[in-house]
Amino acid sequence: MTLLDQPALETPDHGTPPVLGEATAQVTVDGIGVLVPPGTSVMRAAKLAGVDIPKLCATDSLKAFGSCRLCLVEVEGIKGTPASCTTPCVDGMVVSTRTDQVAQLRRGVMELYLSDHPVDCPGCARGNCEMQELAHEVGVAEVRYGLGGASHLSEPVDESNPYFAYDPKACIVCSRCVRACSDIQQTFALTVEGRGFDARITPGGTDFLSSECVSCGACVQACPTDALTEKSVVSLGMPSRSVITTCAYCGVGCSFKAEVQGTGDGTRVVRMVPWKDGGANEGHSCVKGRFAYGYASHRDRQMEPMVRDSIDDEWRVVSWDEAIARVASGFLELRERYGAGAIGGISSSRCTNEEVYVVQKMVRAAFGNNNIDTCARVCHSPTGYGLNHAFGTSAGTQDFPSVDSADVMLVIGANPTDAHPVFASRMKRRMRAGAQVIVADPRRIDLVRSPHVEAALHLPVRPGTNVAFVNAMCHVIAVEGLYDEVFLRERCDDVDGYLEFIARPEHSPEATEGETGIPASDLRTAARLYAAGPNSAIYYGLGVTEHSQGSTMVMGMANLAMLTGNLGREGVGVNPLRGQNNVQGSCDMGSFPHELPGYRHVSRPEVREIYESLWGVTIQAEPGLRIPNMFDSALGGSFKGLYVQGEDIAQSDPNTQHVEAALRAMELVVVHDLFLNETARFAHVFLPGASFLEKDGTFTNAERRINRVRPVMPSRVGKDEWQVVCEIATAMGYPMSYAAPSEIMDEIAATTPTFAGVSFARLDAEGSMQWPVTDAAPHGTPTMHVGSFVRGKGQLTPTVYVPTTERANRRYPLVLTTGRILSQYNVGAQTRRTPNDTWHPEDVLEIHPSDAELRGISSGDVVELSSRVGRTELTAVVSERMPAGVVYTTFHHPVTGANVVTTENSDWATNCPEYKVTAVQVMVTTEAARAASLESVEASVGGKRGERVPDDVMATATEAMARRR
Amino acid sequence: MSHEVPPVVRLGHDLVRNFEPLGPEKAAYEIATHIRKFWEARMRADLAARVRSGDPTLHPLLVRAAQDLVDDDYDRAEVSESSGG
Ligand code: SF4
Ligand code: SF4
Ligand code: FES
Repeated sequence: MTLLDQPALETPDHGTPPVLGEATAQVTVDGIGVLVPPGTSVMRAAKLAGVDIPKLCATDSLKAFGSCRLCLVEVEGIKGTPASCTTPCVDGMVVSTRTDQVAQLRRGVMELYLSDHPVDCPGCARGNCEMQELAHEVGVAEVRYGLGGASHLSEPVDESNPYFAYDPKACIVCSRCVRACSDIQQTFALTVEGRGFDARITPGGTDFLSSECVSCGACVQACPTDALTEKSVVSLGMPSRSVITTCAYCGVGCSFKAEVQGTGDGTRVVRMVPWKDGGANEGHSCVKGRFAYGYASHRDRQMEPMVRDSIDDEWRVVSWDEAIARVASGFLELRERYGAGAIGGISSSRCTNEEVYVVQKMVRAAFGNNNIDTCARVCHSPTGYGLNHAFGTSAGTQDFPSVDSADVMLVIGANPTDAHPVFASRMKRRMRAGAQVIVADPRRIDLVRSPHVEAALHLPVRPGTNVAFVNAMCHVIAVEGLYDEVFLRERCDDVDGYLEFIARPEHSPEATEGETGIPASDLRTAARLYAAGPNSAIYYGLGVTEHSQGSTMVMGMANLAMLTGNLGREGVGVNPLRGQNNVQGSCDMGSFPHELPGYRHVSRPEVREIYESLWGVTIQAEPGLRIPNMFDSALGGSFKGLYVQGEDIAQSDPNTQHVEAALRAMELVVVHDLFLNETARFAHVFLPGASFLEKDGTFTNAERRINRVRPVMPSRVGKDEWQVVCEIATAMGYPMSYAAPSEIMDEIAATTPTFAGVSFARLDAEGSMQWPVTDAAPHGTPTMHVGSFVRGKGQLTPTVYVPTTERANRRYPLVLTTGRILSQYNVGAQTRRTPNDTWHPEDVLEIHPSDAELRGISSGDVVELSSRVGRTELTAVVSERMPAGVVYTTFHHPVTGANVVTTENSDWATNCPEYKVTAVQVMVTTEAARAASLESVEASVGGKRGERVPDDVMATATEAMARRR
Repeated sequence: MSHEVPPVVRLGHDLVRNFEPLGPEKAAYEIATHIRKFWEARMRADLAARVRSGDPTLHPLLVRAAQDLVDDDYDRAEVSESSGG
C-alpha cells in the first residue's frame, strides 16, 4: 500500500524527542526489554517497548517540561514516582508504569484537570482532545472537586486569527503551545500568565492577530485539547483519511500530511499537518503551507478551457479537445509561416519535475527547437551558473540540518524569517545555541534582532555593490593570512592568481567602504569572524542573484567559502535559499534553452543522441531563446507563439510595459494556469491547470531533496497538466504519452545521471532523497563536494566588481529594492485568494525617515514611485529598517505593479533581471499634495496606476513636483 | 535611454563590461565564447549584421568578439561545458 491510500491519521507520539547516539542502555518497562541511547526518556523508551504512558504536557516535538504529573512511574532503586518524560534512561533500569500507587496518583491529577474543564467542551464531541481518552485510560469515573471549574469559564474565545481559535475554557495550561512557539517556531509570542487555577495562556496581553504571532500553527498542532483548534476543523469536523505530500510554496519544500474528508471528487481538505518525518521541515511549517491552501478551491479558479480569436474578444468556453486542437494547429501554422524558431514555451518552478520535463520535451520534440526556458531565469539562474562554475554542480552544497553544526552564518540578500520561515526557525534555534550571525542586507531584517536572537553584525550593503562587499571580505582574509592554505592547495585551481588579485588594495574594506556603505571596521570584524568559524556557512537569496553581477557574486561567495575551507562537511557551504518550491527541479529538468536535462549543453552530440534515440526526433544543436530574448524577438517580429505554464510573466517579469508589448505582438499566447492571471489578458487560449493538491509527481527543494507530491484529490479540471502537454505534442504530430507520472520519472532517471537511482517506488520507500542518487550514493547525497569537487578542483575566480549602470542620479535619487513578506507569496496569485490578506492587504513602500522628511512623506501617504521606465503608486511606511537612500517594496499585488518601474537590466551571464536595483524618485500624492501640485501634471501625463509614462513627460512631471514642494 | 538600445547591443555591452578587465584579446575571446554558448542564432545574426553595417554605437570589444565568432575563434570545449544557468 502506498502512502497515497493510507487511511491512518495517527502518527505515533513518543512523548519526547529522540536522543542521538548508540543504543547501549538496556531498560525493562513492565517486563519488556528495550535498548535505547542513554539519556532517552523513560517515556520514549516505554513507547518504543510498546507501552503507552499517559501524558499531557509532553509531546515528541518538544523538550520535556514535566509539569502535568500524569506520566508518573516507579523505577527500581529510585525513591518516589518520577515523571517518565523527564527521567533519563540508564543501563539496567527497571520501570513499572502500571502499579496501584501510580494509577491512584494519575487519577488524582486527572480529576484536578477535569474539575477545571467544561463538561460540555466541544473538543469532546469533535474527538479533538487527548483529555477525554486519557480520563478513560486512567480510570476517572467521577470528579471529587466538582466539574466545570469556574476559573476560565467566562473568558471569551479569541477568534481574531483567521485560521484558528483559542478557547481559554478548554485550556489545561500544559504550556505545550508556549514551548512550541518558543522552541519550534522561535517567536516567543505566548506566555503563561498567573499561577495555579488562575494561570492562562496569553499572546502578550492582546489577541492573537494583534500579537507577535506569525500564525505558523505550531501551537495549534501541539495543543492536546480543543483550546487551540483550526477553524476548518470546527466547521468541517475531524478528517477521516490522510495523504503525505509536499507544500507548493517556497523552496524549503515542507512535507505535509493532508488530512481530508471524503474521496474522489468529493474530497475536502480539513487541515494540513506538517509531517514529522519530512526531511526538510521535521514537523514544522509556516502560515502559507499550513493554512493558505484555500486558493485551490477559490471561486476565481478557472475550471474549463477557453479560447478567443483576439485578445479584445470575450472568452469562449470550449471542450478540452477543441482547446488542444486549437493550440496544436495554431503552433503548427506559426511554425509553417514563420519558421521553427517562431514558437516556444516557458515552464514553471511551481510545477512538478515530471510536468516540467514533458514541457521541455514537447518544445524540443514537437515544436522542433530549443526555445524553452523556465521562470528560474528571473530568480536563481545565477546560482546555477555561479555554483556550477566554481564547484561543478548547479545546486546548494548542504542539507538544512547542516545549519545545526554551523558556528557562523553569513546571511546575504535573504530574509529567511519572511521568505523561508521554516528554515529561519532552524537558524534562530542555532543562534540561541550560540552560533554567530552576520547579516549583509540593506534592510534591517528580523534576523538582525528579534526576541532572544541578535546578529553579531549587520552590514547594510548598498544595493548593487555585493561583489565589492564579498571581495572586501576575501581581501581581509587573504591579506591577514586567515585562509586555509592546505584546503586551497589541495582542492582548488588558480590559487596564486586569485590571491594576487584579491590582495590588491582596491579590494580593501577601506577602499570599498564608499561604494558598499559598510564601515571598514565592521567589514574587517565580519571577515575575521567568518574566517574563524570553525564552521562558517553562507546562506543567500535573491538579494544576491537579481543583480547585473548576480553570477559574479555567486562565484565571489564560492571564493570566500573555498578560501576558508568551508566546504565538504556539515555546518558549512554555500547555500541558496530558493524562492519557489521547484526552482531547483525545473532547472534540473532541462528547461533551459541551451541545456538538456542534467545541465548538458545541446551542442554535445553524445547527449543529444540519448534523447534522439529515445524520442525518435532530431534535437537542435543550437541554443534557443531565453525568456527575455523571446520578448525581444517578439517585438522584433520573429517570435509569434508562446506556451506559458504556471507563471504570470506579465506581472512577475521586469519592465511590465515591455513584456506586455511583446505579448501583444504574438499571434498565439497559450496560458496554462489555475487563474486568469495578468498574462491571460494577452492570451488566446486558456488551459485550466491542476493545483498541487491534485498533482502526482515530485518537487526538488533548495537542498536538492526530491520530495513526492501525491494527489489528495483527482484533477478538478478533468486532466492532469502533464497529460495536456502530451496531448498538445501528439496533436502537433509528435505522439507523446505516459501511463502515469512515475513513467516520466523513470525516463528522467534513465537519461539523467544524477537521477539514475530515483523512482517513485524508491522515494515512497525512503521518504525523500537528495540528488545525486547514483550507484555510488544510492540513498542520495546530503552534503556535496566531500573530499573533492564535482568538477575536480574548485575554481577560484577573480571577481572584478563592475558597478551596475542603474545608478541613482539627480532625477532618480533613491534606489528601490524588492522583497517578499511572510504571509504573501510572489505575485500573490495563491495567497491573495486566502485569508492571508488579513496580514498584508496591499504592498507598501518602506522609506527611511530622512528621505521621507525631505519629501514631506508620512506613513500612510499614497506616494508615487517612478523610474526611468514607468510609475506606480503605493502607500508609504516610514521605517528605520531602511538605510537612507534606499526604498523597499514587495510585489504581491498586481495593482501595485512594482515591475512597472523595474528595468531591463540583467545579470551579464544569465539575464536574470536586476530587480534589486532600480533608481527611483518618490513623491507624495496624497489628496492635498495632489490638489496643490499634481493634478495638472497627472492629467497631462494621462497616466493611471501602473502605466508607462514617456520619459520626457515623466522628467518634466517629476521636476515640476519637486519644484512645487 | 538605455531601454531603447537594441537588445543584442545592450546584452553585448553587459558582456563587455564584465570581461573588459581581462584585456582586449582575452576579453573578446571570452565574449565570443559566451555568445556562441548562449545566444540563439538570430541574435548572433543580428549582432553580425550590426557589425557589418558599421554600427557606431558598438563597443570595439564587441565588434572584435563578433569577428572572432565569424572566424570560429572561441573556446569550443567551454561552449559544450555545462553552465547551469
Ligand atoms: S501560531 Fe506560531 S507564532 Fe503564533 S502563537 Fe502559535 S506557535 Fe507562536
Ligand atoms: S492552549 Fe493547548 S497547548 Fe496551550 S496550554 Fe492550553 S491546552 Fe496546552
Ligand atoms: S507528560 Fe510528563 S509531566 Fe506531563
